[in-house]
Amino acid sequence: MTVADPILETRELAKRYRRGVWALQGIDLEIPSGGITALVGPNAAGKSTLIKTWVGFERPTRGSVRVAGIDPWKDRSAALAHLGYVPQSPALYDGLSVEDHLDLARQLRPSFDRDYARSRLAQLDIPADRGARDLSGGQQAQVALAIALGTRAPILLLDEPLASLDPLARREFLHVLTDAVRSDGATALLSSHIVTDVEQACDRLVVLGVGKVLLHDTVADAMSAHSISSSEHPGAVASFGAPDGSRIWLVRGTGERPATLDEVVLGYLASGRSTATPAAAA
Amino acid sequence: MTGALTWARLSYRQQKWELLLVVIGVVGLTAGMVWFATTLTALREASPECLAGLSPGFASPAEEGPPAACQAFLTEYYGLENWASNLTTLAWVAPFGMGVVLGAPLVAREIDGGTAQLAWSLSRSRVGWLLRRIAFVTLLGLGLLAIIAVGSELLTAAIFPDRTLGEDFVWFGRRGVPIVARGVGAILLGVLVGAVIGRVLPAVLVSILVIGLAFTGMSLALDQVNRAEATLRPMYAGPGVPQQFDVAGMQVDFGIERTDGQFMTYTEAFERGLNPNFTDENGQVFESEEDLRSGDPIGRDAMLVIPGEKYPLLVLRDSAVAVAVGLLALALSAAVVVRRRPA
Repeated sequence: MTVADPILETRELAKRYRRGVWALQGIDLEIPSGGITALVGPNAAGKSTLIKTWVGFERPTRGSVRVAGIDPWKDRSAALAHLGYVPQSPALYDGLSVEDHLDLARQLRPSFDRDYARSRLAQLDIPADRGARDLSGGQQAQVALAIALGTRAPILLLDEPLASLDPLARREFLHVLTDAVRSDGATALLSSHIVTDVEQACDRLVVLGVGKVLLHDTVADAMSAHSISSSEHPGAVASFGAPDGSRIWLVRGTGERPATLDEVVLGYLASGRSTATPAAAA
Repeated sequence: MTGALTWARLSYRQQKWELLLVVIGVVGLTAGMVWFATTLTALREASPECLAGLSPGFASPAEEGPPAACQAFLTEYYGLENWASNLTTLAWVAPFGMGVVLGAPLVAREIDGGTAQLAWSLSRSRVGWLLRRIAFVTLLGLGLLAIIAVGSELLTAAIFPDRTLGEDFVWFGRRGVPIVARGVGAILLGVLVGAVIGRVLPAVLVSILVIGLAFTGMSLALDQVNRAEATLRPMYAGPGVPQQFDVAGMQVDFGIERTDGQFMTYTEAFERGLNPNFTDENGQVFESEEDLRSGDPIGRDAMLVIPGEKYPLLVLRDSAVAVAVGLLALALSAAVVVRRRPA
């Protein structure tokens, strides 16, 4: 899928780690400006690696990446100016309070909007004077998100921030994210392996499996274009096990019933010879 | 200025426990040195007659020796002096300890704890981040080392009140500027090890090895360079008169001054097939009794001594090399931080 003016872009991106494992294999991806894109895939699909190449944390083995047209390995400073980043686990300093983190962000990035971040946290009743180590996992994730939002960057990259959160904290996190993205007109890329949580929040969907892009579409189109068949179907994308133990087929086109987003993702992961099962992906 | 203070506050909070540990250690050590300095000075002033005729810092009596009534005093005095000497050994170790305790965890903890991901995604320049990250801790560490350096000078002056310490190699490296300069090298080497390894405990352990090896190598190399500053002194000033010991100088080596003016150690003499086993009362060295009888020496006993006047030069050289090692380590740290993954 190509878009007119991508804000995040990869071309033939491949990444191999030292031990010889290919995390990404020839990724061509263009993320348009605006809205939230979900980057979905099982563990070890390459989601984090892909995000980290945009942040400039991973150097591509082959191919190229662009952030607002800038190669982060050639001009890291300019690329980072466009980015706000939330790491996989909330990477906060144990010895610092919430307010200290905002001061630190201001020190590191002079354009950091401390008041904006502070007001976001105040809305969530997160005490500014509380030490990071005394916050719950959900609160730590919110602090990390507030720091990313405080950068006022046009692009937000969120690397599985929901993974360790309970359902309520996940919902609250997504609410804050969608609210901020819609009010600021930013572009967010949210990686997750929890499909149901991103269904409501995200506009677009990228399914990544075994280091390849298996599906890239809007959430609405991905759901309307697919259906489920309980028997083998000539237009099937793939078959996979249903929760009741039966085998079902994801069909591009008309089948017996509409597919859920979860089933669309599972079908494409199965087509990518992923070992994902419904339980693992859910 | 406000920004610098904010950064100092944040830096302190990120490394509070190490800094407190180091500050307590430095305060304790310096207080100990000051106490010994004042106590030894007070003892000396209270009983000057007991130390008259004794070389400062040496218990060897001169011609007559101290009065018998001074025995208890001298036991106490030299006991305290021995303890004080141990404190200067701690002053010598302090810069290396700073490198391990303060330097190694600085970047390693950021990578180990994952906070480098936050910092490096916010900071436009990783080199800029590194310089700011290490600035407060390094400056504080060097300030503390400066306190130790001054304390150690005070203690040395108290023990050797009659000597000109600016031109004296007594306790070289255990007092004054070299302590601070070695701190620069050790802390920045620690930072480099931490940046490469990226885990706190392994970085601390490896930094002990790296800092130890680096400064041992540096010391051995400087010994060779400094040898050029040494002058040759015969062991005997005249027939049966031993040369007066140069307490301010640094004894580099002992050996034989050949008749052609060249110096060789006894080991080198044996390696060259010479047999310097016979000496006369003038310190002349012979290969055989026959040579001894015929007065045909191969040379005379001599030592290589760097005179005390060279002390400022060697301090400068030692300090410059330590700082250069530190700056090289900093440059390498920057290269590592720019290229490495944050976690």
